[in-house]
Amino acid sequence: MTRVPRSARPPVAQPFRPADGRTGSPKGLRYGRLTIVAAAALAIARLSAQHAAPDWKTIEDETLRHYQAVLRLDTSNPPGNERLVADYVKGVFDTAGIPAEIFALDANRPNVVARLKGTGAKRPLLIMGHSDVVTVDAAKWKHPPFSATREDGYVYARGTIDDKDNLTAGLMTMLLLKRQQLPLDRDVIFLVESGEEGNSNFGIQFMVAQHFAAIDAEFCFAEGGGVTRIGGAPRFATVQATEKIPRGIELVARGISGHGSVPLASNAVVHLAAAVSRIGEWRPDVKFNETTGTYFRKLAAISPPDVAAHYRDVLSSDAKARAAADDWLFDHEPQHASMLRTSVSPNIVAAGYRSNVIPSEAKATLDVRMLPEEDPAAFLAQVKQVINDPAVEARFSAQNTRPAGVVARTDSEPFKSIEAANTRIYNVPTLPTMSTFATDMAQLRARGVQCFGIGPAVDLEDGPKGFGMHSDQERLLESELHRFVRFNYEVVADLARSK
Amino acid sequence: MTTKRYVIAALVAAVSAAAAAQQSRAEPEWAKVEEETMRHYQAVLRLDTRNPPGNEHIVAEYVKKVLDAEGIPSQIVGSDMNRPNLIARLKGNGRKRPLLVMGHSDVVTVDDAKWKFPAFSATRDGGYVYGRGTVDDKDNLTAALMTMLMLKRLNVPLDRDVIFVSESGEEGSTGVGIGYLVRDHFPEIDAEYCLAEGGGVTRIGGEVKYATVQTLEKIPRGIELVAHGISGHGSVPLKSNAIVHLAGAVARVGEWRPEIRFNETTGTYFRKLAAISPPEVAKYYRDVLSTDAKTRKAADDWLFENEPRHSSMLRTSVSPNIFAGGYRSNVIPSEAKATLDVRALPDENPAKFLEEVKRVVNDPAVDVRFTGQNERPAGPDARLDSEAFKALEAAATRVYNTTTLPTMSTGATDMAQLRSKGVQCFGIGPATDMEDGPKGFGAHSDQERLLESELHRFVRFNWDVISNLARAK
Repeated sequence: MTRVPRSARPPVAQPFRPADGRTGSPKGLRYGRLTIVAAAALAIARLSAQHAAPDWKTIEDETLRHYQAVLRLDTSNPPGNERLVADYVKGVFDTAGIPAEIFALDANRPNVVARLKGTGAKRPLLIMGHSDVVTVDAAKWKHPPFSATREDGYVYARGTIDDKDNLTAGLMTMLLLKRQQLPLDRDVIFLVESGEEGNSNFGIQFMVAQHFAAIDAEFCFAEGGGVTRIGGAPRFATVQATEKIPRGIELVARGISGHGSVPLASNAVVHLAAAVSRIGEWRPDVKFNETTGTYFRKLAAISPPDVAAHYRDVLSSDAKARAAADDWLFDHEPQHASMLRTSVSPNIVAAGYRSNVIPSEAKATLDVRMLPEEDPAAFLAQVKQVINDPAVEARFSAQNTRPAGVVARTDSEPFKSIEAANTRIYNVPTLPTMSTFATDMAQLRARGVQCFGIGPAVDLEDGPKGFGMHSDQERLLESELHRFVRFNYEVVADLARSK
Repeated sequence: MTTKRYVIAALVAAVSAAAAAQQSRAEPEWAKVEEETMRHYQAVLRLDTRNPPGNEHIVAEYVKKVLDAEGIPSQIVGSDMNRPNLIARLKGNGRKRPLLVMGHSDVVTVDDAKWKFPAFSATRDGGYVYGRGTVDDKDNLTAALMTMLMLKRLNVPLDRDVIFVSESGEEGSTGVGIGYLVRDHFPEIDAEYCLAEGGGVTRIGGEVKYATVQTLEKIPRGIELVAHGISGHGSVPLKSNAIVHLAGAVARVGEWRPEIRFNETTGTYFRKLAAISPPEVAKYYRDVLSTDAKTRKAADDWLFENEPRHSSMLRTSVSPNIFAGGYRSNVIPSEAKATLDVRALPDENPAKFLEEVKRVVNDPAVDVRFTGQNERPAGPDARLDSEAFKALEAAATRVYNTTTLPTMSTGATDMAQLRSKGVQCFGIGPATDMEDGPKGFGAHSDQERLLESELHRFVRFNWDVISNLARAK
């Protein structure tokens, strides 16, 4: 329970401290003679508040304490048990006097919503961090996955960068805003959601469907971006402004069953294989949107010339240049190739059960990641055209899909604020990105909330070395955790403080 | 594994000299034989020997009892107490090498719910007997048993021993059946000729059209394709995707038809078939034998579309039957596998064929290799100018008044093991309606059946062939 020392607090901000989330009335206003003095004091207070920064050195202890505490709560999903984290976070807020509520579809998998009230001049700002983590293979971990061991400047644990970093930063931002008694033009809402790793029906889906009023906001921040360090130095920041929409497509080939000693022209396995082969070799058309166009332009500007050429060429109106760049990206930077189009990856095939029996049916599943502006029906028709075989049926699978929604604009107030903070704190340019995978922001975007994916700085080299998200040595630099808390606080304070 | 062998009865070696002297050309009393045939046929059909688990001992014990009552020496041998084989022998004077007749005692499994008549009831209805095993293979088993009984009763003097084997495990577990017999009891079953399932008489519109005798069979060889690639998240397609590489390989192999090659059996088969077929179909049988590549290709295409069994007889065939990879829709797997069912022509060179498959696959990311699957060995074909084939042809003329076509079966049989030991084997069977298969009354179907009249005719055919080949002359 480290408190911000009195000396660090703005001297005359006391009367404005919100109580129970409500703005209190300044006492001075009751006395006519003192009104002018009070007004002057108010002006000074505001001015001081704007310039009084938290004492970051002291805050770091508290940050690390909460970070380690939540990392040590085993919320592997399945089964999740996010109640552990929800209870912890609720306890912290209760102590701090920040109103927080629990919303649960399943008592073991609750969500927490905390709110700091603003004047209501602007619509709320929502910050999110999910409380579940992916499962672990404990045998593979050098440091136990829920030990949050500190070593050589790093913290090692499942969830260190997915997503207990964002959770901790959101929590700290709420605590700091409260302590700083910052007057707010808008409510700041903090949501700790469960089930992000594959069971969003307990988390974001439940909140959006049943308790949307509790989290409705103009803007939201969640995981999905970050700062890329190369050779230990930050190079650029990314902000996820939009995301692709996952849609499974199932291929089913049907033929006549028979004995394997007599090959049949209708063999379902052969028809399916040909369909999967054609689909696998097909790359749908390159299509840019505001986010990806800006991304590749900005990336070209900060990349070495040999690589930059490909980023520029893929934007070219010359079809040949574009195709060559596209080929290069598919070979060398498949993540970028996927950003250029609705992508298709055949990931499951299942056909046959005995080597001497021709099966009557064969199935494949395509993992399709649609551009947000893609028309699903038209795309399915294209898939059928590529397959070009009446014996193979193509249809969307019934899989739980995430809806399409609004794109966060690069000319918006939050984007500018994030850009400014990245310059100030990391001294790097900001690139808007479209993630190729789905996030919990999809549901909010579908409801019109402009969402921005953010995150701490990590080394580009960490992924290939096996220290990345979902890996068996997931880790984060302590110094970058603290820098991220500062980034969070500054962006949120900038967007929410009364102006 | 130690082989457990048990012998329930010792072979009685002595052959009565009196019996030998009692030369008899007497024919069986067919009306009486039919009753007995039906009794034994129904009895063995009612013994549930579905494989797995087999339990063939119940058939072996039944047959042994029948033979014992007749004074025909037999023994039960096996590596598994529940799955033994039966060997019986009628001694001849040894002037010629023995003749072996076989009928397997196991049947394929049943889906009881789908059977109109219970699968092991051997119900007689409308002139048919319905039951699992009616045409695979308790028909051959019954006919062979009846032939043994008649040869003994009529004291037929023999120039060669007649051996009767009822083997277990034919439907996928030959290790306990023919594999075991050839390995551990070959001297007891060694023969010049053997007769077993694999042929038959084809009726179309209720009329006998031709007989087939299997003289050769293809060799099953499994080939496995394994593609390796980089694993990853499905949101980012990868060029190395193992499923895509494997799909390309399977598609190419699936669309490939290996070269056409004829042997004595298949050449004779298509020529004879052309001679007895309606002109519009006969054309294809003749064209596929043509030396003109274009003509041959057109006929081959027609056969592949319309008569795939004939198309498979023309070549080493390849059928991709299993294709599996991936476990989660959003994860690109690092490996994907496919299994090809390959049926090689008896003269195929396996190593060379594998090279050809690799050339068709044409992708270094895909491994191509033979599977460790239980193989049936290759062996010489039964000769069409042999005494046995001539006897079969003559009997088909006498009993069915029809022509005989030698065939190469695309599926493997228990004769493969014997052929590899130099036994000339011939596949035979009763007459069935060509329409029965497509109508769902065929072997392995849920209404497997045989006409009673054809069962009896088949017993006569058996008697005719065997007595003709073995009788002292």
